Amino acid sequence: MDETTTAEADALREIVEHYFDKEWTDGLPVVPVTETLLAEFLATVARDPDEVLFSITHLNRHLTVRLAAINAAMAGCRSEYFPVVVAAWEAIAKEPHPARGIWQSTTGTAPLLVVNGPVRERIGLNSTGNIFGSGFRANATIGRAIRLGCINVFGLHPHKLDQATQGTPAKYSACIAENEEQSPWPALHTEHGFEASDDVVTAFVIRSVIHIEARHTQSPEQLARDLTDTIVRTGALIHEYTSALLVLTPEHADVFASAGWSKDDLRSFVYDNAVRKREDLVAVGKDALSHKTRWRLAATHPDSMPDSASQTEEPDEVRALSNPTSIQIMVAGADNAGVSAVVEIFTLNPPRVHPYSHQQIGATA
Amino acid sequence: MAQLEALLDPTGMEAGAADTTLSPRPVSLRGLTIGLLDNTKPNSTLLLETIAAQLQEHHGAGEARLYTKDYFGTPVKETLLEEIVRECDVVITAVGDCGSCSAATVADGIMFERAGVPTVSITSDSFLMSGQAMASVQGFPGFDFYAVKHPMASLTAEEVRERAMTAMPEVLRILGVEEGR
Repeated sequence: MDETTTAEADALREIVEHYFDKEWTDGLPVVPVTETLLAEFLATVARDPDEVLFSITHLNRHLTVRLAAINAAMAGCRSEYFPVVVAAWEAIAKEPHPARGIWQSTTGTAPLLVVNGPVRERIGLNSTGNIFGSGFRANATIGRAIRLGCINVFGLHPHKLDQATQGTPAKYSACIAENEEQSPWPALHTEHGFEASDDVVTAFVIRSVIHIEARHTQSPEQLARDLTDTIVRTGALIHEYTSALLVLTPEHADVFASAGWSKDDLRSFVYDNAVRKREDLVAVGKDALSHKTRWRLAATHPDSMPDSASQTEEPDEVRALSNPTSIQIMVAGADNAGVSAVVEIFTLNPPRVHPYSHQQIGATA
Repeated sequence: MAQLEALLDPTGMEAGAADTTLSPRPVSLRGLTIGLLDNTKPNSTLLLETIAAQLQEHHGAGEARLYTKDYFGTPVKETLLEEIVRECDVVITAVGDCGSCSAATVADGIMFERAGVPTVSITSDSFLMSGQAMASVQGFPGFDFYAVKHPMASLTAEEVRERAMTAMPEVLRILGVEEGR
């Protein structure tokens, strides 16, 4: 018995090391995948295994349903998670920046997946405490399935095709579910025209997740201004405008809802107040735009041109948001403290009205 | 004993077609039209024009034509590629000095080589690895390109000219030009 166990342990270790030797990992061990396991995954979707879910054309690389399944299984997904992974890839494929090579960029963005609908309960996706933390297989492995696909199928290895200067911890895995049960508002996916009973993945391309500590107030205006201050931080303003996803804890959402604020009321308030004084931008050398890239730089730079705000009646009031819908709002986390997050969404020029893409889970091609 | 099963390749790379044949080299540049492909990154134009002037002055190259990409992060569009292939005998493209544009500059070079036009892709040396990785995913792992010393964007005009002069022996080597021709 002991001999048998020892022999299997060696074989298992050899298999784990095989994946590292092949550079088929994100730095953590992966689950070995053979045709038997792959078949279980493919059986959960009504898709041709050779159907392409996402292409990065300039890399000549294409992610098929089969490759998505192999990488999802390697990531540690259970086969019943696979329809969520397929929808996630399709949502990512609708985003403009990944297909244009943003994941080769020094900027170092990551995909963030938000899941809505009954599937959360079915597969055990966490929507409450420790929402951005570890400990939940469905969240951890669905997000990781995307990262392994990026590394293995698109060759986005760090130090090679992925030239992120620092990256973000979200590059390991970033998949959260909305806490619909404790939200005072309609769920995120119903704002996009889906039924509450539909299962939907919404994909964002994000820079960072920033913690907002605000246990001090019952005033919706004070709380909204506290959130807005983070949205307009100058370090985020590389381009003319930015976008953000507010991930509000139930307690914070209730501060707004019990004062009668809808999501749109909060959006409008943040939009109106997400303004920097020009002198703040001068102080950090970001008061103008470069001609070709429209990145922010100093008005004294030879490549500079005036920003949009300077051509308005209030040139000293510089808006950080192009549109109220640049702010997206959802509820997640435990209902135990006034702690929320601002998720910074990557935003180029011209900014998009809706800075996300979504895909219904279980839809056929 | 349980049945043994093969571990599956998660990359799909085995399906990629490889064409690693360089286009025929010209031996001499005499009278040849030089295509300069500017990816819009700062100092690219000056670097390219300085190299072209050297090729004209010392190697008898003909006209130099300057083309501009519409986005530095992805490879050259099909229509511009076809125009350059039609109008030029050799191509120099610069400067891949960021994550996506270094890879795109190498992809451009590979596309021109496959279209039969000898090409020198110039990245900055901070992005040597991304250039090599792009050559790998394109099925051309040994593609030869020149990595100029980083940084490029912040240099003065005089410093850009020095970078161009340093690049000249490598430009000539990659184009297959024999000394003195």
